[in-house]
Amino acid sequence: MKLSIIGSLRKELADSLSTCRLLVVGAGGIGCELLKNVVLTGFKNIEVIDLDIIDVSNLNRQFLFQKKHVGKSKAQVAKESVLQFCPTANITAYHDSIMNPDYNVEFFRNFMLVMNALDNRAARNHVNRMCLAADIPLIESGTAGYLGQVTVIKKGLTECYECQPKPTQKTFPGCTIRNTPSEPIHCIVWAKYLFNQLFGEEDADQEVSPDTADPELSWNPADTETRATASDQDGDIKRVSTKAWARSTGYDPVKLFNKLFKDDIQYLLTMDKLWKKRKAPLPLDWPEHQKLTCPQGVTGMGLKDQRVFGVAGYCQLFSRSVETLHSMLADKGDGAEEWIWMGNCDDPPAMDFVTAAANLRMYIFSMNMKSRFDIKSMAGNIIPAIATTNAVIAGLIVLEALKILSGDVEQCRTIFLNKQPNPRKKLLVPCALDPPSANCYVCASKPEVTVKLNVHKTLVLALQDKILKEKFGMVAPDVQIEDGKGTILISSEEGETEANNCKFLSDFAIRNGSRLQVDDFLQDYTLLVNVIHCENLEKDVEFEVVGDAPDKAPAPTRSQEEGKNVANGNKESSEPSTSSEAPAEQNDILLVDSDEEVPSSSTMAVSMESGGHKRKLHDAETGEASAKRQHLSQPSADDDNDIIALD
Amino acid sequence: MIEKEESIISEEEAAQYDRQIRLWGLDAQKRLRGSRVLLVGLRGLGAEVAKNLILAGVKGLTLLDHEQVCLTGCSRDLMVRVDQLCAQHNIKVFCGDVFGYHGYMFSDLGQEHNYVEEKPKVVKPKTDESNDGPEAKKPKVDPNETTMIKKTASFCSLKVALEVDWTNEKAKSSLKRTPVDYFLLHVLLKFRTDKGRDPHPESFEADATLLRQIRDDVLEAMGLSSELLPHDFVSYCFSEMAPVCAVVGGVLGQEVVKALSQRDAPHKNFFFFDGMKGSGVVDYFGPK
Repeated sequence: MKLSIIGSLRKELADSLSTCRLLVVGAGGIGCELLKNVVLTGFKNIEVIDLDIIDVSNLNRQFLFQKKHVGKSKAQVAKESVLQFCPTANITAYHDSIMNPDYNVEFFRNFMLVMNALDNRAARNHVNRMCLAADIPLIESGTAGYLGQVTVIKKGLTECYECQPKPTQKTFPGCTIRNTPSEPIHCIVWAKYLFNQLFGEEDADQEVSPDTADPELSWNPADTETRATASDQDGDIKRVSTKAWARSTGYDPVKLFNKLFKDDIQYLLTMDKLWKKRKAPLPLDWPEHQKLTCPQGVTGMGLKDQRVFGVAGYCQLFSRSVETLHSMLADKGDGAEEWIWMGNCDDPPAMDFVTAAANLRMYIFSMNMKSRFDIKSMAGNIIPAIATTNAVIAGLIVLEALKILSGDVEQCRTIFLNKQPNPRKKLLVPCALDPPSANCYVCASKPEVTVKLNVHKTLVLALQDKILKEKFGMVAPDVQIEDGKGTILISSEEGETEANNCKFLSDFAIRNGSRLQVDDFLQDYTLLVNVIHCENLEKDVEFEVVGDAPDKAPAPTRSQEEGKNVANGNKESSEPSTSSEAPAEQNDILLVDSDEEVPSSSTMAVSMESGGHKRKLHDAETGEASAKRQHLSQPSADDDNDIIALD
Repeated sequence: MIEKEESIISEEEAAQYDRQIRLWGLDAQKRLRGSRVLLVGLRGLGAEVAKNLILAGVKGLTLLDHEQVCLTGCSRDLMVRVDQLCAQHNIKVFCGDVFGYHGYMFSDLGQEHNYVEEKPKVVKPKTDESNDGPEAKKPKVDPNETTMIKKTASFCSLKVALEVDWTNEKAKSSLKRTPVDYFLLHVLLKFRTDKGRDPHPESFEADATLLRQIRDDVLEAMGLSSELLPHDFVSYCFSEMAPVCAVVGGVLGQEVVKALSQRDAPHKNFFFFDGMKGSGVVDYFGPK
């Protein structure tokens, strides 16, 4: 057998490597490892894109960056670092968002292969569609802590990224946040809402005051409705915006304290039905003597941020941070509204405020208070990350790429990286790829969905932002009503349909059974939306997509919630982690669909442990379904589909 | 290989290592910060391991490249001797190599390797509260509270791990569940011993022939069929493939981190990676 090899590769493969044009989307944890691997393997023509800049917390794993690079463009520095050890590589770096319309289908068609190294679902959805439109193979991947996953997406041959519905991030009901928190995470979410109400952009979905329309308060639904309407119409103190009220007091910390932690709690106590089966909250008094109590139970060996103080300490921290934030707000002037919570995870006074407010609330509701370190984890949606997991996954990505370039796409697999070997001793588990889902709302030939909503209460703007963009991942939707007249409801051209935004769908004669044709020309994607009018959706739920499992029913509020749902990154949007508007911290995780499903509140380590169990349970449930599916290729005896992450 | 010193994590380091401290905890990070590691061999795999250990934050990394010009991995004899020497001094040993699409790592953490595992605490139900509702009576796993459980693992030497007897019935019956890579490793180590180098693409034909011969000899000596390693095995074990180095280096690097930080169950005692199939297996070879 004459086999000509260069290094470990057959000559033909080695040649196609040198000519292949490759696009790497993301230059973070996976991206750095991936760039190293592709140049060392012999790829010559690489383009890399990342919208983010380097942060100190990246340095434990994104090894192409050093301290001196903090603040600079990841894509740019990555390129420069790679050229240091491989000067002959031809690398183009873009400090930009892949969702920028400049990167259209024609742009994608330049490449033979696309590799994702992303940390958020919105971008993944988008690249998925672009690669389908351009008919280019896509290698998807993600990591979180010790776990990771790689898979291959090829139009017509495999499932696309959106064939399996992904769980939306966990949100908590308003009454839990406002009235009856039972876990630290509820208090942290409340504190973040409070931050936005006081110092950032007020959001009607982020109320902090007691909720008189709590369904638990009344025996019959009609009564709840009455209360809700009553509280809407009342001109009493609860209806004055929190920010306006705070302003009227001059952001006096003691007045704020008394309202939030004493008066409002006393009001909650009057809603006695809530406390029949729950421990009632204890209103706090502003401590007369401000003494910072000693750290409790800490030997002094921990990090500064890992200390837990006494309640008086957090009263003091609350007061200090309110004063600091107030003066910062005054300095900013009118631009302050842009200053939204999520991005300020690393901003000390904001973090101090959330730590203090959350802890005070936890104390009031008889929960153990938490350190700043732990609160930051939960508030900031931080996913722990290490170099080795990314190294392994990036290695696997390249190996899949080699199969594709050799024309052996049927050898491609989804591969899972576990923390510990499974019962069959496997640490890395390859699974056969699945064929496309026949009713996928993205890659099916004429995709269609059905959405339940209230046509009288849903604004056109909400349809655009919350449903089409957030839920269905479109970037620039155009919507036509199938009413025989082809009425244009939404145009992606700026300004054209702005007047429609604050009208209700019913204003355009949209009713039960109406159909909307939605196009995103950038993604080359057309979706038919069937509308079902529904008047009794659950509280806080604005719409439901028929066919989603109940726990996936979205009611996505803009500040996507913490449930550290590691699948797809804990960011719904694709904003850079380091911008002031950005949610959460950067992480590189992926469609480990059922894997990282996390309980409502948890510390990092635990969620990773329980994740493993969750995955197995899930397989037991879906085992039957998966067995019936036709796999893409005949799995060889070795190719156990031990664990198929489905959702 | 390990020298433990009391380490303090500065605020600056806390910021840099934030994302991993949140994964494995401060204690583990402190132990890493006080550890010294000797790394022998600096080819593809060695470079990956070096990168991973430095990023993890070890105190010191000593690099030993025992052949300046022609970089090769260690011979079997050398590995066995180093392993035995280290055992005498209570030093933990890791070995690894990448041959084409295949790679392995081996660990010997000594007779008594102590470590901790973090498990969620099970909260016992309260029996006296009457007004907490029915839910309060059930034992719950409290995801907020975890507890550290101490464990011990025992490892055998490399010599013993490589000299498993396959002639007895018990071993033969377990053959089906045994990763074939274990035998591939024997063949490649023998090649290295005999030729003083690894299979090289430039002499592909000759080396391939020799590899097959060694396969026959090695498997026969073990009392096993040479069919165990299929005819085309030679095609996939030349050179070090960069992505395979990345995978094996990642797993190996993480094992070193685990051993140094004494946290989480170590893989015992081999990890085999087959880059063609994408499968990575942990298996134990040695006395039960």
